[in-house]
Amino acid sequence: MNFHDLSIKRKLTLITMLTSSAALVLSSLSFLIYDLVAFRHLLIQDLRTQAEIIGYNSAGAMEFKDVPAATATLTALTAKEDIVAAVLYGVDGKEFAHYSRANDIFPKVLPPLSQEQGYRFYGGYLQVFHDVTLNGEHLGTLFLQSDMRQWSVRAKRYGGILCIFVLISGSFALFVSSKLQRLISRPILHLEDSMREVSANKNYSVRATKSYGDEIGRLIDGFNTMLSEIQHRDGALRSANDELKTRTLELEKEILHRRQTQEELLTAKHTAEEASRAKSTFLANMSHELRTPLNAIIGYSEMLDEEARESGRSENVEDLRKIQSAGKHLLSLINDVLDLSKIEAGKMGLHLEDFDVLPLIDEIATTLQPAAAKNSNEIKIRVSENVATMRADITKVRQILFNLMSNACKFTDHGTIALDVDQNDRDGNIQFRVSDTGIGISEKQQQNLFFEFSQADASIARKYGGTGLGLAITHRFVQLMRGHISVQSETGKGSIFTVKLPTQVVLDSTKLVRPALANDGETSPAGSKIYQDTVLVIDDDASVRDLMSRFLSKSGFRVLVASNGEEGLRLAKQEKPLVITLDVVMPDFDGWSVLKKLKSDPTLAEIPVIIVTIVDNEPMGLDLGAASYLVKPVDRDRLAVLVEKYRMARSPSDDRPHSTPSLSGARKSKRQTELKSTGDVHHADDLVGRRQ
Amino acid sequence: MPTILLVEDNEMNRDMLSRRLQRKGYTVIAAHDGEQGHLLACSKSPDLILMDISLPMMNGWEVTRLLKSNASTKHIPIIALTAHAMVTDREKAFEAGCDDYDTKPIEFTRLSEKIENFLLAKKLS
Repeated sequence: MNFHDLSIKRKLTLITMLTSSAALVLSSLSFLIYDLVAFRHLLIQDLRTQAEIIGYNSAGAMEFKDVPAATATLTALTAKEDIVAAVLYGVDGKEFAHYSRANDIFPKVLPPLSQEQGYRFYGGYLQVFHDVTLNGEHLGTLFLQSDMRQWSVRAKRYGGILCIFVLISGSFALFVSSKLQRLISRPILHLEDSMREVSANKNYSVRATKSYGDEIGRLIDGFNTMLSEIQHRDGALRSANDELKTRTLELEKEILHRRQTQEELLTAKHTAEEASRAKSTFLANMSHELRTPLNAIIGYSEMLDEEARESGRSENVEDLRKIQSAGKHLLSLINDVLDLSKIEAGKMGLHLEDFDVLPLIDEIATTLQPAAAKNSNEIKIRVSENVATMRADITKVRQILFNLMSNACKFTDHGTIALDVDQNDRDGNIQFRVSDTGIGISEKQQQNLFFEFSQADASIARKYGGTGLGLAITHRFVQLMRGHISVQSETGKGSIFTVKLPTQVVLDSTKLVRPALANDGETSPAGSKIYQDTVLVIDDDASVRDLMSRFLSKSGFRVLVASNGEEGLRLAKQEKPLVITLDVVMPDFDGWSVLKKLKSDPTLAEIPVIIVTIVDNEPMGLDLGAASYLVKPVDRDRLAVLVEKYRMARSPSDDRPHSTPSLSGARKSKRQTELKSTGDVHHADDLVGRRQ
Repeated sequence: MPTILLVEDNEMNRDMLSRRLQRKGYTVIAAHDGEQGHLLACSKSPDLILMDISLPMMNGWEVTRLLKSNASTKHIPIIALTAHAMVTDREKAFEAGCDDYDTKPIEFTRLSEKIENFLLAKKLS
């Protein structure tokens, strides 16, 4: 096992023990070495002293060459155990006498160099040389050899003692350190246990116990602080979690509640829609029921009126006219209610067609003459030069203008009613501005002006009559055509109503795809033969063909008729007419197929096709490439304007592409017309042309 | 003198309209329900039919369909007179084969113009 991986307990014990043992061993060794060195020195001194004594004693024997005496002297060294050999050399360096303890080897001749030092260690022995002198005369040299037995015995003993001492002191150190290491290891191990407890059980309330104020104590403090923080956070998290759960539950309840409410609302909506349908049906039926007797009232009074005039009994005429007028007024009120109920039931549709604005304005001005005259008002019409045609529901435009104008007439006395028509080419709107010099409308009254059943004042109903539906219907019609109506007025200073309608009204579901008009001959295939004023009428109904050809011939066109699609296509190819009018519902080969064929043939595709049908599906017609769409019964004026338009578009030399020859003359004179009041009195409302 | 068949169930309207038409110089035959209207149209071959739509027994749509599917009567122009004045009524009228339609209450001048047009067209053809 690697030391690094040992437990902290072992590490601490080992570190303490090793440190102390090493110190002990080192100090003991140094002491031992010192002692042995000193002891050896002592042994050398001792041996030299011995050599001095022996040398002195043997000097006489050397003088007299008495070898036995000299040997006896040397033999005395037997008492000294460690001296293993002693030799006396003569002056010549040769052996004179010797002693050997156990026949130890000694040099026969005095070794050189030895005399200068006096001793040497040689071959594991200590050797001492001493000069033997007598009265200053050098007689020879004494050689002593010691095996240093005492020293080695002492060294061995010391070594043994040292080993035992180290062992004992090591064990003691182990004991002590194993006791003392707990001071450090125990708090650390306790800390470890605490951490394990925390991580295993996620129990953040556990705290480690601090034993001392040392670094570990501080570590434990830090750990405890950290735990408290975690516990605090954990608590906060837990409570947040709980709160979240509660909230989620509340939210679920809320959702459930809402869903219930939604269902209830849906049911309520269905009920309301049902009620609204019932109301609309009731209104429709009611107005039907009301119209039937009204039919008789108006009819009989008209008849009596005619009869009275013819027979010259004029005394009743005035009263009969009053009955008629009242009946027609009642009828207009019923119509208003019916219109409104249709709008509310979502049954009010738009019949879009292209029409010239000017004739419509003229018609309205003429129609309103009697109403204006009644209050001695003057009507002023101004139509800006750039106003030409527009595409909208002509009946509704007429009714909008009629309502505004007749209101103006109604609430103005001895004043001026002005209608200004202007076209804004930038935003594609046409603007009708109806202004009067009448009683005006206060700011408060203006707020409810366009809402149903709210006249400016209850007293107005008594004084001026009316249901208060006129402006509401006007408003709804304007909305239907995606236009905008606004009022500007001040009490006593007259009112200005401004209606803005798109010049090209589109149905909600209609795509804004309209075929471009053929501008001139250049766009048609080169070389094709074009009769500029031929109109091809394709219709399976003979009466329609007759009526159309009669009317178109009167307007100066050459008319070709076809009673079915195939014949129509053949004539179109052969004659290349200026315009084709096309019926949709025909046996075998219907108008849609004819239209598709016409548009897919490059030599015929440029010819404008006017759909004339009872089928009210204008988007489809325009999608297939029809230039215009008229719904039967055909409004002849509309047809005339359209055909004329295409005739002008075809004629490259004409610099008035938007006006028609038959109308332009009249137009010039009507541009700035002031129509004077006449004495003819009719109720205004009876003159609205209604086309349902 | 052209003969006009007026099919109308409301007595007052029938009386009033036939008197006014007679005053215009037309010969008027009147029927008070669909069946009688159908019978009279077949037997008298009028020049034009004014057809009320909401009729007892057989309604105006049905009578029109019958007459228009019959070779001997299909040429007779039929003007439907509707009181509902709903868009769907107009479409229904043409679908059934009516040649024109007008809404009640009748505006007599307008109606007589229509009648004249049809009779003129008929004369021309």
